[in-house]
Parts: sequence; C-alpha cells; structure tokens
Amino acid sequence: MSVVSFKQDSPFRHAEIGVTSNYSFLRGASRPNELMSAAILLGLDAIGIADRNSLAGVVRAWDALKQIKEQHSGNVPKLLVGARLVFVDGTTPDILVYPIDRAAYGRLCQLISKGKHRAEKGDCILCLADLLECHEGFLLAIVPPARPGTETEKTLARLNGVAAGRVWLAASMLHHGNDEKRLQELHRIAQVARVPLLAFNDVLYHAPDRRELQDIVTCIREHVTLDAAGRLLEANAERHLKSPTEMSHLFRKFPQAVKETLRFASFVKFDLGEITYNYPEEPVPKGKSPDEHLADLTWQGAAQRYGIVPPEVEKTLHKELTLIAKLEIAPYFLTVHDVVHFAKEEGIFCQGRGSAANSAVCYVLGITAVDPTKTDLLFERFVSQERKEPPDIDVDFEHERREDVIQNIYKRYGHKRAALTATVITYRPRSAIREVGKVFGLTEDVTSALVSTLWGSGDYESWGEKRHARMRQAGYQGDNPLLEKAGRFAKELCGFPRHLSQHPGGFVLTQDPLDTIVPIGPAAMKDRYFIEWDKEDIDALRIMKVDVLALGMLTCVRKALSLVAGYTNKKFALADIPAEDPKVYDMLCKGDAIGVFQVESRAQINMLPRLKPREFYDLVVEVAIVRPGPIQGNMVHPYLRRRSGKEKVEYPSPTIPGSDPDELIPVLKKTLGIPLFQEQAMKLAMVAAEFTPPQANGLRRAMATFRNVGTIDKFKDMLIDGMTRRGYQQEFAERCFKQIEGFGSYGFPESHAASFALLVYVSAWIKKYHPAAFCCALLNSQPMGFYAPAELVRDAREHNVEVRHPDVNRSEWDNTLEFTLDGTPILRLGFRQIEGFKEVWWTEQIAKSRGNGFATFDAFARRAKLPKRALIVLAEADCFQSLDLDRRESLWAVRRLPDDEALPLFAAQFVEDMPSENITALPVMPLSEHTLADYQMMRLSLRAHLLQFLRETFRAEGLASCHDVLNARDGDHVRCAGIVITRQMPGDAGVVFITLSDETGVCNAVVWNSVFERWRKEVMGSRLMVIEGKIQRSEDNVVHLIAEGFADRTAELDKLSEDHPPADGSAPAVNMHRHPRNVRVLAKSHDFH
Amino acid sequence: MIPDIAVMRTNQAADTKLLEQIADWCERYTPFVALDAPHGLFLDITGAAHLFGGEQAMLAEIRRALTAQKFSVRLALAATAEAAHALSHYKDGAIVPPAQESQAVAPLPTEALNTDPLIIHALKRAGLKTIGQVAARTRHELAARFGGAFITLLDRTQGRKGGPITPRSILPDLMAERRFAEPVVTQAMIAETLLSLGESLASVLASRGQGARVLEASFFRADGQTRRIAIETGRATREPKIIERLFREKLDALCDPLDPGFGYDLIRLSATFAQTAQADAVSFDTNAHDADIALLADKLAARFGGHRVMRFAVQDTHIPEAASVAVPAQHYEESKLAWKPMRAVEDAPRRPLRLFAKPEPVEVIAEVPDGAPARFRWRHALHSVIHAEGPERIAMEWWKHQDDVPTRDYFRVEDDAGRRFWLYRDGIAREIAHPRWYVHGLFA
Repeated sequence: MSVVSFKQDSPFRHAEIGVTSNYSFLRGASRPNELMSAAILLGLDAIGIADRNSLAGVVRAWDALKQIKEQHSGNVPKLLVGARLVFVDGTTPDILVYPIDRAAYGRLCQLISKGKHRAEKGDCILCLADLLECHEGFLLAIVPPARPGTETEKTLARLNGVAAGRVWLAASMLHHGNDEKRLQELHRIAQVARVPLLAFNDVLYHAPDRRELQDIVTCIREHVTLDAAGRLLEANAERHLKSPTEMSHLFRKFPQAVKETLRFASFVKFDLGEITYNYPEEPVPKGKSPDEHLADLTWQGAAQRYGIVPPEVEKTLHKELTLIAKLEIAPYFLTVHDVVHFAKEEGIFCQGRGSAANSAVCYVLGITAVDPTKTDLLFERFVSQERKEPPDIDVDFEHERREDVIQNIYKRYGHKRAALTATVITYRPRSAIREVGKVFGLTEDVTSALVSTLWGSGDYESWGEKRHARMRQAGYQGDNPLLEKAGRFAKELCGFPRHLSQHPGGFVLTQDPLDTIVPIGPAAMKDRYFIEWDKEDIDALRIMKVDVLALGMLTCVRKALSLVAGYTNKKFALADIPAEDPKVYDMLCKGDAIGVFQVESRAQINMLPRLKPREFYDLVVEVAIVRPGPIQGNMVHPYLRRRSGKEKVEYPSPTIPGSDPDELIPVLKKTLGIPLFQEQAMKLAMVAAEFTPPQANGLRRAMATFRNVGTIDKFKDMLIDGMTRRGYQQEFAERCFKQIEGFGSYGFPESHAASFALLVYVSAWIKKYHPAAFCCALLNSQPMGFYAPAELVRDAREHNVEVRHPDVNRSEWDNTLEFTLDGTPILRLGFRQIEGFKEVWWTEQIAKSRGNGFATFDAFARRAKLPKRALIVLAEADCFQSLDLDRRESLWAVRRLPDDEALPLFAAQFVEDMPSENITALPVMPLSEHTLADYQMMRLSLRAHLLQFLRETFRAEGLASCHDVLNARDGDHVRCAGIVITRQMPGDAGVVFITLSDETGVCNAVVWNSVFERWRKEVMGSRLMVIEGKIQRSEDNVVHLIAEGFADRTAELDKLSEDHPPADGSAPAVNMHRHPRNVRVLAKSHDFH
Repeated sequence: MIPDIAVMRTNQAADTKLLEQIADWCERYTPFVALDAPHGLFLDITGAAHLFGGEQAMLAEIRRALTAQKFSVRLALAATAEAAHALSHYKDGAIVPPAQESQAVAPLPTEALNTDPLIIHALKRAGLKTIGQVAARTRHELAARFGGAFITLLDRTQGRKGGPITPRSILPDLMAERRFAEPVVTQAMIAETLLSLGESLASVLASRGQGARVLEASFFRADGQTRRIAIETGRATREPKIIERLFREKLDALCDPLDPGFGYDLIRLSATFAQTAQADAVSFDTNAHDADIALLADKLAARFGGHRVMRFAVQDTHIPEAASVAVPAQHYEESKLAWKPMRAVEDAPRRPLRLFAKPEPVEVIAEVPDGAPARFRWRHALHSVIHAEGPERIAMEWWKHQDDVPTRDYFRVEDDAGRRFWLYRDGIAREIAHPRWYVHGLFA
C-alpha cells in the first residue's frame, strides 16, 4: 500500500461521521481499509465508521490505520468507533452512536448484544427505548430521512431531554434537486431543538467508482435484478468520501455544520487499543497467584513426564516460566490447561498443535505431545518478549466428542464470559458469480455454467484469464459484454463479507462480561454464542483465545487403540506406542500409507518413497514438504537431492565484507541448507535480508491474510533487495520469497509439523501392526481423510485382513472385529456402511431383540419389529446370509410383509399369523448384479470389482488395466479405464491428480493444466473414466500416467444393471420413472480442491 | 457433443396440452380416446378398424399421419389397453392376434408393465426381468407382495379381462358447444349461437366468480375442417353481449373470412383463460371510466390488432425519459411499483409538464463546477435566470451502456419572463471538463 500521508493544502478541515463499510452487509461497498486509505488521501481529520447495529468492521479499520501509522510518518485521521443504530419501532430515524470512552463503549457493545439476542440469523432488534436506557457517554447524531418530518423533531426532543449537549442533527446533501430547501428545513429543526447541525455525506463507499458495486449489492440484498431495481438504487454516485474542500463547498451556506464535525470528533476519547482483557479466575485456586499455580502444575507435570527431570529440561522450564511471568500470561496457560484437563479426565483424546509445541511448559502440562527439548524447538518462537503478540494455543480434540468439551466450557464459564469467535463468510468466486449473475438477470443456466466451469474457490485469478475459453467450453459466447461485466463485478465482490458465522472452536474466555468488549449474538446452533470479531480481529487487539478444534484422526486413533486393547489386553495411551519402529518406517518408505494421517494424499504417497523417512524428524519434514510453500519455492527437489547424497549440502553465504559467511547455518542446518518451514523463511528474512523483528512480523502478517492486499509487493522488494545487497544470489532470494508467498496460504511451521508428525507415526504404527483395527476405526470415524470406505476396505484386504459382509446376526451399527479360532481379527462391516439404514433401527430394535441370534427370517421380522422400509434396506444390502437367504430370496420374503406405514401395530402381529409359503426358487442373481447391488447399498463390494464385468468390453477396445499400467515401460502410450476414486488439486500447483481403480489395482494419473483446461468436463464429471496418456516411470519406480486425453464412460455402469435389452433391441422410448437407487450407481468420488 | 443442439426446459403443462391436442385430433379415428399420460394415448378402435381398411392399414395410416406432423410415434394394437401399452413401448408396430397377448408380452422387460417403479424395481431385484418370468410366479405369491391391483394389471397386460378405457373428458365448465342436425351457414345464425353459448358460459363463470380473458370459438365444418377464432379482453369478462360483440368485430375484420362451406355442424365456445373477476365486471356500468377504456381498447384491438393500441405505463427508474413507456393497452396493468411520491402536495413539481423526446442543446453560462445556470440561449433566444434550484444529480443506468455515460445535473430554472425550464448539465466535474447543456423540458 503506497499510501502517502498528507494533508491537502487547503484551509478546509472535515471529519466524516457515520461511514458505512461493507460490514453493513450488502449496503456498504468499500472495505474498511479502503475507507481508511481514502480518508488519509483526502486529508480528513477524523473518520467515524458506523455500521448497521454492528461493530464487526471497526477492528479492521483500526488495524489498517495502525499499520499505515507504523509505516508512514505524518498525520493520519482519528478513527471514531461507533455504530449506526437502526430501530424497528416505526419511523424512528437512524441514530449514529459514538461512545466517548471505554465505559460507554462497553455499554454500546451490551446494547447491540441485547438486540442480537432478540433476533435470529445475525439480525439485531432495537428500539429507541433501549438506547434511552444506556445513552450515557454516547454522542448521538440523528440521521433524518429524505423528507424530515415530525418524527425527526420528536426523536431529537426526546434525546435532547436526557442527553443535552450530546445530540446532533446530521445533514447530508442528497443531490435530489431540493438540497438547499432541505438543508434550510433541517437547520430550522435543529434550531428549534437547540442542537447543532452536523455535516456528513452518509458515505457508502470510498470513491465514486464504487457506485456500480453498491448498486449490485443493493440488488443482491433486495433480491431484484438491476433492470427491476428502479429507484431502490441510488440516483447517483455521490455517497463517497469527500474531501474537506468539497464538503465545505457543499455546505457553503452552513459552514458551521462542517466545523461542528471537528468538535464532534474531539469529544471522542475512546480508542480500540484501550480494550484490556482479563482471564477467568476459575483455574487458579484461592490464595495462589496464577504464576505460582502454573509453576506448581509445571513441576508436577514434569515429574510425571520425566520421572527425574533432566537438568536441561529444568533449565528450559525455568526460563519459560520466567518469561511467562514477565508477560503476565500465566492465566492463559492455566485456562488452556483447564480445558485440556477436563478432556483428559473424560478420556477424550486431545493434542495441542501449532506453535505451542515449542513450549516445554505446554508439553509437561500435557497440552502438547512433542517434547521440544528432543526436537530442538525454541520457546521464543512461541512467546517472545519483542513480538508482544499473544501466544496461540490450538488444541485438537476427537471430532466426535468435541461437543462435550465445548459444553463443559459453557458450564464452567457461562455464556456471558465464554463465546466463540466469528468467521467472516466472504464471497468466493462461485458465490460471487452466482449472485452477480442473478442481479444481471442471467439465467440460472448461464450462471451455473459459469460456476460449474470453476474448480473450487482456489483458482480465482486464473478464472479471470481463462474465462472466455471456459465459457466457450460451456457452450456460451465467450466475449459477451454482459457476461464480461458480470465477471468483472463478481471479481470485485470477491472477498466482501456476506455474513458472520461462528468459528468452529475459537473460544474467547474472560473474567469480566465479554459483552462489554464486543457485541455477542446467538449462533445458528442452539446455545452457541459468538462475538462479532474474527480471529484476526482479536489477534490485532491481542485478545487471547483457545482454539478447541476437531480432528478426525484423534477419534480414529482412540477407537483403534481401544479395539486393540480389546484383544491384546494392552491398554495403549498415545505416549505408549513404541517409538521409532523401523518396520513402521519400512512400510511408509514403500508409500503404503492409505489412511495414515497427513501422508495419505496422492502427493504425499508419491513423496514417501523419495524421501524415505527413517526417523521421527523425517516425518516432520515429510509433513511440511508437500505444501504449497516449499513446492512454490522450488525447495523440494534440492532437498531430496541433498538427502539422497546426490548434491552437496551447502549454505548460501553473503559476500559483502564483514558479514559472517556461515550466518545461515544455524537457520538451515536441520533441513540440509534448504528452508522448508515457515519459521526458517522468517528467520531467513531477518538474518539474510536484515529485517527487523517488526518487519519480519509484518511480512508474516501480510502473507497470512488477504486483508492487506498490496503490502506484499513492498516486502518482496525489501526481501530481495536486502538479500542481494548482502551478496546473496538473486535467484535464491526470489525462491525464498516465492516460498514465503506459498506459506501465506498454507504455511506449516516446524512445531505444527512436529505435532502432526506424531499422529503420522501413531497412525502408521497402528496400520502396520493392527490393520484390521485401523481400518475398522477409520470406517467408524467417517467422514474423514482422503479415501472412501471402498478404498479403505480394499487396502485392508490387501493387507490380508479378512472383511465380512454385514449380517443381521453379526453386525452392529459400527464396524466391529471378529476373531478366527487362532485369534486373528476379522473386520465385520457394520450397518453404518449401508445407505439408508438408520442408527435407531440398530440401537432400539435389532440390538435389543437379537439375544442369541435369529434363527429364521420370520423370527427376525417378528422380534426386531422393524418397519418394512428397514427390512427392505437390509434385504437389498444382502444382510440375511446367516439365515441362508440371499439377496433375492430375502427381498422376496420382505415384500410379502404387509405395508406397515399405515398399520404399524398390525404388521408384527401379521407376521406371526402368516402362513408359510412354498415357492419355487427365484432365478439366481448373477455376480455382476450382486456386485452392483453391493455398490448401490454400501458403495463398496466384497465380491468383485465392477470393472471386472466390463473387462471384456474394454479389452476388446484395447484398454489397459491398472495392473498393465503399473508394469508398462517408461514412455509407453496407453489407454486405461477405471473408476475414479479421487481427484485432487493440491493448492494452486496447476495439476490435477486422478486415481483410477479397477479389479487389478489402482492407476495414478497426472493431468497438467493445459490438458485439464481442454478436458475439464470429462475430468470433473466422469465416474468411470478412460485416460489416454504416456507412462512416466521415475527412478524410484513410481509409475504415473501423464494424461493426454479423456473419455467419460460412466454410462457403461448403467448397462450392468440393464442386463435385459428390450425385445426389439432398441432402447425403451420412455424411461421417466427410474428408481432413485438405479440412477446413480456409484457414489461421487472424493474430490479435494 | 452437439454444439448447436437446442435445449429447452421441460414444460409439463405444455406437454399435457400438446397431448390433449393430439387426442383431439385423434378423435377422427374413434370417439373413444383416452390419455395415457404423460406420453401416450389409448384409442379404442372396436368396430372402427374396417372404416380404415383393417387394423394393419389403420395403424399404418395413424403412423403416417402423425409422422407427417413430425411426431415420433410407437404403436401397438392389442385386446387390452395394458397389453397395447406394454407392446407399444417395447415392440413398436405389434398387432396381436386374438388371444395371443400372453405370448406376445412374455419376452417384454418387466418395465413394460405400467405400474409403480418401486414394484418394477422389486421384481427385477428378484430376478424377474421379463413379463413372462413374472407371470410364471403363482398369483398368490404376487398378490401377497404387490396387491390385487397388480394381479389385475398383469392379467390385463396378458390380454385377459380387459377393462374399458376412460375417454378423456373436456372441462365442461369452461366450454359450451352446440351441435346442429342441419349445418348452419348464415352470419345471423352464427351470431345467435355465439350469444347463446356465451350465456351458458357466463352462468358457469359467474358461479365460479370468474370472467374470461381469452375466448375461443371453434367452428367445425361438416366436412371435417375446423376453424378457431380467439379474442382477448383487457378485463375479465362474462357478459354474453360483449363477448358476442367482440367476436363480431373480429369476424368482420378477418382478412380471411369464415368460409362455412357446407355449413357447421358443431360450434364450440370455450374460455381458454379465465380469471377471478369482481361481480361488477359482469356489467360495465360501475367504475365506468376504467371500464370504458378497457372496452374501447378491446374494440379497437379486435379491429386493428392488439399491438396497435397502446397505453402509457409507469416505470420505476431514475432516468426521466424512461419513466413512462407505451405498452399494448390490453396488457396494461396497474403497476405494483406505482409512483413513489417524489414530492409532497405543497411542493413544486420536480418533473416538467412537458418532457422533450429529445433534449435540445443550449448555451449556458453557469458557475463551475456545479453551479446553476445564470443565463442560457435556447432556440436563439437568450434567457436570464432569476431563480434556480438544483442540482438533481442523475447518473445513467451503467449496466445498459457499454461506455461511460455522463451524469446529469438537472436544474429547475425560471427566467425573467416567468418561464420555467428543466435544464441539465451533461457531465459533472469529475467526468467531463467542459460539459454541454441541454433543455429537457418545460414546466409552464
């Protein structure tokens, strides 16, 4: 942001009050930082943000201003924090409220909270009476309607009655043709009420060229098209921030009204920086200081972790505790400990992630699981005196039991003192195009064509460039001016906030009522409340939060370990897993990692045989290396070459005299001279480019968010200039910057990678030694991970796990383990794998009536008393095999039962009375149909692979199997058919990975961007796909099919069920009625964007 | 991919209508035509085939005639509707000899049974993939699972126990017709018939509180030709005299007049579009002004064509010249948007009495950048401005223009002779350095 702070050389001064930002959703058309920059350029004395019944945008404005101040000298406008209160009672005009001090600010927060609690969906219901109850310390400016009437006079009188001297009448020049007359009238009203007139422009955007976007958001808000909007839209583009000169010109007849704005602004003494924060007292026992208590807990924990605490650990702990005491953040650690302690007592697995893993105190308190002294992590990276930033402790909990943890937090601290942070839901390319398209009156076909040609929300920039091509692909004229306009505004709308939603787990806990700090409102979920600020806002204000996150793998590990405990009689905690088992690493080196935490993605599985992890730290690297940062920075291959000894380990050196040639060795030693982690990149900026700590921090923040668009280029120059000036190679400097850029979106700090690496090891260990339990736990923890149940089951079977079909006499809701006579575990699929089966059918009916098992179908029907619908599902899923009934027979039997939807009570009775039936055998179901039915009911089949039945057709066409592909020679040209199991597009690497599966195995294809653009439709839409391409066999024998062409053969799957062609050989004329189950043979593949 | 394929949204109502039209048309083969929705028709040709030269020939004729109308058609002939349904879908052109339905349908897929898709699904899942396989199971077994209705269906599909088809009924309350033993030819007779049909229709409409907006008269000539004439009304109407009069206007204005040939043996009057109407719509006495305009519009439209009779409608827009637009008078509706009051009663009007179709350029001396005109020259005459008010700033509708269009600053000015003008500066300071001025209207 190249904002130069200057004041226009003009005798006029002005403070703009009542500015609407885009946090007045679908009203304001400028971002807070845009408004701030404009205010500086215009040389305003002050700017008063006032969003509709909300303080959601003020921190962003405050932060933008603060950053500009940090980077530029000179005057910046004063920020007035306030809100525009909009009332529900009749014709009460809007009132701009600005608290003069901290106490009044607290009252404003409470007032808005009150309104929010009355409403739903983020609305706020306020009456004038509410304001009159708590007006103390508020500056109140009434915004009269276009035709000021008695209501304005009445409201003025009422306010002036209680708050004399703090009431103004705001006057704007609407350019409706009668401005002068209206201003005279307002002047009269103000004089009668004895309040000053206050000039303002009722600003909706920072510059006149935002009018168009403002029109669009108005249309979105009112659900109309531009053509139909008429006078809902503003008549002109005047509601932008205006310079003091312009305002003085507009109000030349009443110059006093402009002067009054300065007086108004001078009353406000409140700055958001004054918000202080105090911690809950609960975790600290009476009579102890937080520091003392933390020390006690730390030494207790250390004794538990180590037995005898090693001297260097003791030294570290002392050091940390001293710093914590100095920064007065002990209560924060205690609060987090309190939450974690609860979880542990309840037996809920949890583990800290992120930079907290740098702290030995966190480790001994049981918050994190990585011993920082062993992995050489540094506490300074977590908490530092210079950085003055709050530490950030994120804790993962089992995803299925996180709710218990959250409820406990509410129980312990109450709703007034514990609330979730907000997540600002913003317009992404998809939603922006959809909405803007509607406003332009484009038909849904067109907008969905526009939308459907997008992949996820990541490739927004490329969308702009490739729009024309994609529109043509979707069958529309690419350069249609209307589409062009819609696209342009969709782009502008991107990143605008749509509404606030609750953050999944970021809690803010306080001692004093939280609603005096920030407005709180109810969330969509019952008994959930969230504040108006998001993570970045509270970071900016240094309010600390505890992230109570959910992690599926923790659930899975807990489930797997309890299954293992069930048959080995060994109870495992996370810490009891034998460390550094070479066989576990052997397995990972082969790329055998389906289901393993973090390293199961295609890119990771490809990396494993190349990186060949042999110890824990290798896993830390493995987790961090397949990320956009190192990939964009081109750090991956150099690292691999050095690791395999093909390249010498060297450290880039500065060449200018007087500098230490080895200055980067301490920074990069652990990673063989190649920066891989976020901290290294930052450290590199400080050491090699001589960034000051605040600059490095600014760089990190600039990367982390979109909100500082534009600042990044400045840092780029600073970094590259700084490094080259000191004699580093330009090319190395550029790579470093690229990597930092990549970290921006998905950065992995080392500590975070270490926390995750621990779960990688644990899950890999379980997979290696207890594959049945591992698969069972994974299936029971779905949805999670990259792979669908079919792949997980297939992987387990490849690891010699016997898997059995669900059965009414054997299965439970969850998948379970059975055992052979010699104790080998067998995976029995549970009812949860069956589509359409309800859990209550198991818990309330089958589980309660099964006893020693059902001997006959009639016995089952009679005792379980399931609705006919449930019986049909079970029969369709072939769950009566233990009763010697196959799918057809059981279905035939079920059909005979009376329809119980109408007469449920008689149904069971009827079963008892039903005479036995002697029927001839039904035709035997062919294997292909069984398989297809399995897929339809469970999305997997233990009998066969669907492709097996198409093999003959495909072989005749000369298509290769996955097995053929695996054994093909490098450079061979092949065509291979298979069912798409995953489509992954990591980051914005410009490449799509597709995994096909058939009866012989899987085939991994790589689709480069240019090919993808051409075959987008086939790539995105096929379930059964033929890929044509070239074999690429790497030195490590990893085989890829480099795609060159595609064919969508999904229709073949339908033929499997249509085994009887129509009598005259033609397709049926009308096929309107299809059973829904017949329509979609296969589940959608797992796609990751 | 077929790049130039025309894709249209399904319109079920239109499909149904089309099917009914085909059914209408098929009444020439037999009076007993029933719908087999959504895409089929049953024709009971008992005793009719010989008129067309036998079954084979009749089938061929129907196929030829429908194909000529660009329909794709599948036909089958069997002893029962259900059997014909099954065969037509899977064995186009089949003619089943008497008592051989059972064999004829046996190889057909189970889907050929015209029944609930859930039953089809269940049968197929049980491995019963042809009607023959289904029929081989015992009745008992099937009845226990799929009910008695299914057995009946199966029997009928196999040609046993055929039931009558239900000839489609025409909604009688929106249609009135009169058949004549002796075909009518005279205008007077036609007018009288329309009047009496109008009366029958009116009583039904009145009982429903409705009036007709679109009426259609069908004239069936004895030789098989039909002629249909439709009229539209601006207000829902059920006054027989008005209906008759409107038809008369229309018939008189036809460039291709009715040709009764040998006379009409059937005249039918139907209200194809009826709408809720107030009781006063029956008579036009009340609310005379609106009603007169509507009637006048209807009469003029019947004579000159609906698109020639226009009326002004309010548009919701800031742009002065777009604020009203001419629409066909019969389609004029009071806008829901209506006028948002721009001024209070006591205020002066903000739009001129007369708005020029094309703003006229004027030379103006005004204070820059946004001042009101002090003097201006229009049509060679110089006017000194005594009073001015403004600006009213109106920006153009940007989404309708490719390029930037200047924003207008409108002023209401009064000259020294007391004349009032509506002037605007075409372009504001940040857009154009030297904007031009126009006069856009006159107040008085």
